Amino acid sequence: MGKRYAMVIDLRKCVGCHACTVACKSENNVPLGVNRSWVEELETGRFPNVSRHRLPRLCNHCENPSCLNVCPVKATYQLEDGTVLVDYDRCIGCGYCIAACPYDARFINPERKTAEKCTYCHERVAVGLLPACVNTCIGGARFFGDLNDPNSEVSKLLATEAVTVSKPETNNRPQTYYIGADEKALRPNLLKIVGGEK
Amino acid sequence: MMTTVHFFDSPHEIYWGLLIAVYFYYTGMSAGSFILTSLGTVFGIEKYKKVSKVGVIMAIVLLLFAPLHLLLDLAQPGRALNLFTHVHLTSAMSWGVYLLILYPLCLMFYAWYLFRQDLVNGLNKGGFKASLYSFLLFGKKDMSETAKAHDKKQAKFFGTIGVPLALAVHGYTGFILGNVQARAIWHTPLMPIIFLMSAMVSGTGLFIIVLMLVEKFKFGRLNDDIKSLIADIANLMKWFIVVDGALMITYFIVLWNSTEAGYAAGYYLLHGEGWSFLGLENGLGMLVPLLILLSKKARQSLPAVVTASILTIIGVLAMRINLVIGGQKLPLTGSKIIEYVASGRDIGIVLGIAVVAAVVLSFLYAVLPMNRPGAQEMKSIPTTKGVAQ
Repeated sequence: MGKRYAMVIDLRKCVGCHACTVACKSENNVPLGVNRSWVEELETGRFPNVSRHRLPRLCNHCENPSCLNVCPVKATYQLEDGTVLVDYDRCIGCGYCIAACPYDARFINPERKTAEKCTYCHERVAVGLLPACVNTCIGGARFFGDLNDPNSEVSKLLATEAVTVSKPETNNRPQTYYIGADEKALRPNLLKIVGGEK
Repeated sequence: MMTTVHFFDSPHEIYWGLLIAVYFYYTGMSAGSFILTSLGTVFGIEKYKKVSKVGVIMAIVLLLFAPLHLLLDLAQPGRALNLFTHVHLTSAMSWGVYLLILYPLCLMFYAWYLFRQDLVNGLNKGGFKASLYSFLLFGKKDMSETAKAHDKKQAKFFGTIGVPLALAVHGYTGFILGNVQARAIWHTPLMPIIFLMSAMVSGTGLFIIVLMLVEKFKFGRLNDDIKSLIADIANLMKWFIVVDGALMITYFIVLWNSTEAGYAAGYYLLHGEGWSFLGLENGLGMLVPLLILLSKKARQSLPAVVTASILTIIGVLAMRINLVIGGQKLPLTGSKIIEYVASGRDIGIVLGIAVVAAVVLSFLYAVLPMNRPGAQEMKSIPTTKGVAQ
């Protein structure tokens, strides 16, 4: 069986330092104002009953990616190992993938003028290195590996820990798994955002 | 209640802005006006044959200028040809590329057969028009009865293909939005049908206004015959508005009762976008014209029909903007409404294309033989009021 890459993020170990965001920008030359990988932070509750949550976000390299399905020129493609990539030479920059991704994972690179997103640091992984965000994580919260290898860290974590994904109701089957994620952090509180929360 | 405060998030922006909304608007009006003209030539309702030629020219020009918005919206416009070399059947946008080629081509054949005999008759006029007509005829000057019958048959043939193509060319834009499961506000099977019905409404609205201008400048005045036809078209528009309104109400009720994202989207349409959604789109743009057109007397009054038509044209533009841009204002991650302000470049492009399209449309009406059953063009065309001729 071939490889199927996935990421597991253990939020119990995330300290919210944003080193992953910075490492990603540095590794992949991501221009200012856009991010391939970022960390949402939020506080819930009212003093003295409060808590803080963090949610590192990146492309979920979905099993059934909406972005791939809507691309009119097949510029977005998926490798056998599950990695979803963009052919920067073919992309016409129509923005359909950006509108269709349920995770806001994509943007138009203001310099290259094509759609872009996290690649799981494909060039690093191809030579046996870890993605930059995993490599740099100071709390050791990020795990990257092959789901088809029962001895990989990600396989073991998925087998032994309770995990969630963001927006499981989509037919995307996202492959970034979170341990200890708060439901409030996994999706926007739309009702509050539109002012409809009582 | 649990308070949640986001204090760190990544900024996101809206990529499908004014240009995309206006593109949907143009294709809609093109499809709407074509369907109207097909009533005479394809569906055999005799009285609409008088206005087939006006409608088809409008449909062609709108459809030729519509994709320019798309092209200029691309981050890599130079790569637009990739759309032809890489077909992707799961992408509604990929279907659209072929529809945007086939539909205007079909309309041009249809128009050619509608105009051919008048072009031959116009050859004796001399000057620029005669040379233009001669070029457009491609040597097909046969005026025998067989040839005339052939024209009629071919016009009907291309018109008949044109009807499903018109439905598809605008319906597919509904699929572009409807297929996006990430956004509750778009993700409904009603989307292509809502787009089609609102296209019929705005297409009819613009058609009425264009028809009046063409009649006025080509034939000097609107005779009773045309006035009664406009009243009939206004009556059709009334029914289009009724169906469009019913669809919007259906859409909204189900949105309101769907998931949290759907309910929030509905709430946002009512409150956040209230002035535009309730006020412009559905109040001024749908309810007011409907109330006007309910009265038979109003339908026979040109000022009333023009008012209703202009209101529907504005209302449907608001609808396109509310759906296309409004649908992206609700965030998929993070904690804030994503604000959108149309860039000066986009506004400039929209206005520029509108002006050029209007000039081209006026030029075509001025030079093409618009004779219709019951009316011949005036010998001299009034040159006042700045209409190109």
